[in-house]
Amino acid sequence: MIKPVKSWLLASSVAAMLAAPGMSQANAEVAALTQDNSSWATWGKDYAGTRYSPLTQINKDTAKNLQPKWTFSTGMLRGHEGGPLVVNGLIYIHTGFPHKVYALNQDTQSVVWEYNYAPDAGTDPQQVIGVMCCDVVNRGLAYGDGKVFLAQGDATLVALDAKTGKVVWKAKNGDTKQGMTNTNAPLVVKDKVFVGISGGEYGVRGFIAAYNIKNGSPAWKAYSTGPDAEMKINPEKTMTWTDGKMAPVGKDSSLKTWQGDQWKIGGGTTWGWYSYDPQLNLMYYGSGNPSTWNPVQRPGDNKWSMTIWARDVDTGEAKWVYQMTPHDEWDFDGINEMTLVDLPMKDANGNEHSKLLTHFDRNGFGYTLDRATGELLVAEKFDKAVNWASHVDMKSGRPQVQTQYSTQAGGEDHNSKGICPSAMGSKNEPPVTFSPKSKLIYIPGNHTCMDYEPFAVEYTAGQPYVGATLSIYPAKADVQTGQPTPDRLNMGSFTAWDPTTGKIAWAIDEPFSLWSGMVSTAGDIVIYGTLEGYLKIRDANNGAELYKFKTPSGVIGNVSTWEHKGKQYIGVLSGIGGWAGVGMAAGLEGESEGLGAVGAYKSLGAHTKLGGVFTVFALP
Amino acid sequence: MTNSFKHRALGLLAALAIAPASQAWEGKTFKVCADPNNLPYSNQKGEGFENKIAELLADELDLELEYTWFPQRMGFIRNTLKAEVEEGKGKGYKCDVIIGLPTGAEQAATTQPYYRSTYALVIAKKRGWDDIESPEDLDKLSDKQKAKLKMAMFDGSPATTWLLNHKLLDGSIPFQSMDADATISTAERVEQALKSGKLDMAIVWGPIAGYLETHNKGAFEVIPMHSEQGVKFEFPMSMGVRIPDKERKEELNKLIEDNQRKINKILGKYKVPLVDADGKLIDD
Repeated sequence: MIKPVKSWLLASSVAAMLAAPGMSQANAEVAALTQDNSSWATWGKDYAGTRYSPLTQINKDTAKNLQPKWTFSTGMLRGHEGGPLVVNGLIYIHTGFPHKVYALNQDTQSVVWEYNYAPDAGTDPQQVIGVMCCDVVNRGLAYGDGKVFLAQGDATLVALDAKTGKVVWKAKNGDTKQGMTNTNAPLVVKDKVFVGISGGEYGVRGFIAAYNIKNGSPAWKAYSTGPDAEMKINPEKTMTWTDGKMAPVGKDSSLKTWQGDQWKIGGGTTWGWYSYDPQLNLMYYGSGNPSTWNPVQRPGDNKWSMTIWARDVDTGEAKWVYQMTPHDEWDFDGINEMTLVDLPMKDANGNEHSKLLTHFDRNGFGYTLDRATGELLVAEKFDKAVNWASHVDMKSGRPQVQTQYSTQAGGEDHNSKGICPSAMGSKNEPPVTFSPKSKLIYIPGNHTCMDYEPFAVEYTAGQPYVGATLSIYPAKADVQTGQPTPDRLNMGSFTAWDPTTGKIAWAIDEPFSLWSGMVSTAGDIVIYGTLEGYLKIRDANNGAELYKFKTPSGVIGNVSTWEHKGKQYIGVLSGIGGWAGVGMAAGLEGESEGLGAVGAYKSLGAHTKLGGVFTVFALP
Repeated sequence: MTNSFKHRALGLLAALAIAPASQAWEGKTFKVCADPNNLPYSNQKGEGFENKIAELLADELDLELEYTWFPQRMGFIRNTLKAEVEEGKGKGYKCDVIIGLPTGAEQAATTQPYYRSTYALVIAKKRGWDDIESPEDLDKLSDKQKAKLKMAMFDGSPATTWLLNHKLLDGSIPFQSMDADATISTAERVEQALKSGKLDMAIVWGPIAGYLETHNKGAFEVIPMHSEQGVKFEFPMSMGVRIPDKERKEELNKLIEDNQRKINKILGKYKVPLVDADGKLIDD
């Protein structure tokens, strides 16, 4: 806001706006919807992914009076990620694979239309389930141009008529027989809809793809690894943080960091969330872990896995990249959302920045970058239990790995104990929220560590090999100080963070990992779900718990809030599952000794059971 | 996904007529989960060695053999051995036994080993590599020759670490260890690549080497690998049951002990290279 936008950026965005007035119709519609409080039209509420609503009816004083108003069963048992969209008065909810999508009328609380997944000829749904790694979850729908978009588990992007639910078009985004599936929420920008790919376990080579919103024809596709042209990297123009400043990545920046042809099965999948800056005309997302999982077998930095990407939405060309975890040894999948924040700050050299990108990675570091230039401004631990790296060297941008927690340095005869965070990350996929009012980011934290046992025998498609087993357990350290807290067995944290300083403002223990996308509002509250099934509301200023209600199943979905006929509503999907549902229960069983204060939590199964239910809340 | 495999009408009658052979088996069926399309281990036609071993055990127990088919890769145990027939209805599990799991595999309780095998280097003959007689001969190749090697690199396999240690990874051709296409087995995939000339050689798990040998008589040279620092090639193999099923596991242990000779005979027919407990090759 303080610093003028660089002239070339201004020029390019103005040119883009002038170039094709028809092209931006969908964009104008979605952009307007993101500003309309009766809507929740993208996964992130707005293109910046702030998940912030200016609504104030439900606020820190009234939240205690909140009531569940109505519920709706999805009829499906498996994990329910993603959240409701609300557009032009209708609510759209969906389930994991094999998908259902429901359009609901808020007044009659009835189904306007439903979409039931039917496999295309040649697709075996059982085969699809067999290749989806962690349950059959899906992270959400997108809206644009009168259509609702779903990136299906069978790697097909489907466009449904928002009024009737009829299939308008389908686009094949990947081949499930090669391990490709879709779990991400799409994003509509201008005349295109963006989709990534899942399947790192099968060595799928990650990419982001753009389809024309009118008919589903492919617009562009850009890979995470490989030759420059296929990644849409311009060796002279695509920039990265180098020796304390931005510099071109240079020729073959990915190829040079892989042994032989390993990049062809190199992972870097893109199953998270995408955000967009209309002024800069850039979209942002993260690429996942490199494949193969065994770090010994892939020497090098394995670029550009584990990377924050900024791409021109029209051409796909990468403007800048930043690799968070070079040569990953811990499965710190880098796909968590990018939240775009406008706040003034000064970097270490005293230069001012205001267009920021923030990202809370599985690796435990919270990053703030200048989203226009890609400059690294902040890289600090948002959970001080994190120990795999001492810090990020701000000049090189590289994490300083602690040898004792390096799974590779440990070697085959070494059980690396107490690595923090666990492979589930200090935060997993549920998105944060940013309140421009408090200027804080609220993080659904995952406060766990792991032992990495290399000797376990694993088995894949008829071949045994020495793999690694992870045991995951509570971090038993304070989120804010990292000091040991042997009696605190919480596996989750609600953390408030200052993106301009990289400091934890405050943090509150949660018994289980938080696996629900948060919402903050101008009513000074933060709303989210828990694995036990609670919808919780906290005071945005100090974290005090204002309200909780136990929904029928554990919440791994994202909260939305909107206004309808003068009333503010909150909606969330319950339905335990995913990695959280399976993994957390297992982690706690391993921690059977000394349960102490949290003795009741022998496993999540004592708290909640499967079953998808949508619950809508409002004041009396 | 479930079907009954009545390999002997008599067996079924006997099972109906007399009390169950053991308390470990609640019903009248020997319920096995297996991959429908993964030779030489198993397929839906019953052509794999794990099929033959399952038939042998069902026979010994006088039970009807019943299969639930599911591709044996990520999610296999979750979707089979640990999956109820109908969720929440108390009608039991989709199966009680998995015939092939590495000893000590974590998600199930594994029996005592019933065979031990090793990885093997398989070389297509008459492609210019007929002089290679041992894995070490690959080390002796010139850089120019190494550059010409059309060698498979299986994601995650111990063979990949070996190739890395022996500076052979640069020109290798990457393959995914866990193929998502359940209609083609790993053994078939390697077979096709070797036959088409995409590959000249690959290091694969013993039973797969055995499959390549028996299906392509004389076309391939099979050279067993041996472990070295940081690379383990020999593994013992077991059957798997649900972790609390101790009684069933004991019963299987006894069956394996009593039928080891017959099991070895089956493995012999499939040319599975066998090693002893010290990893030494057992010559037949």
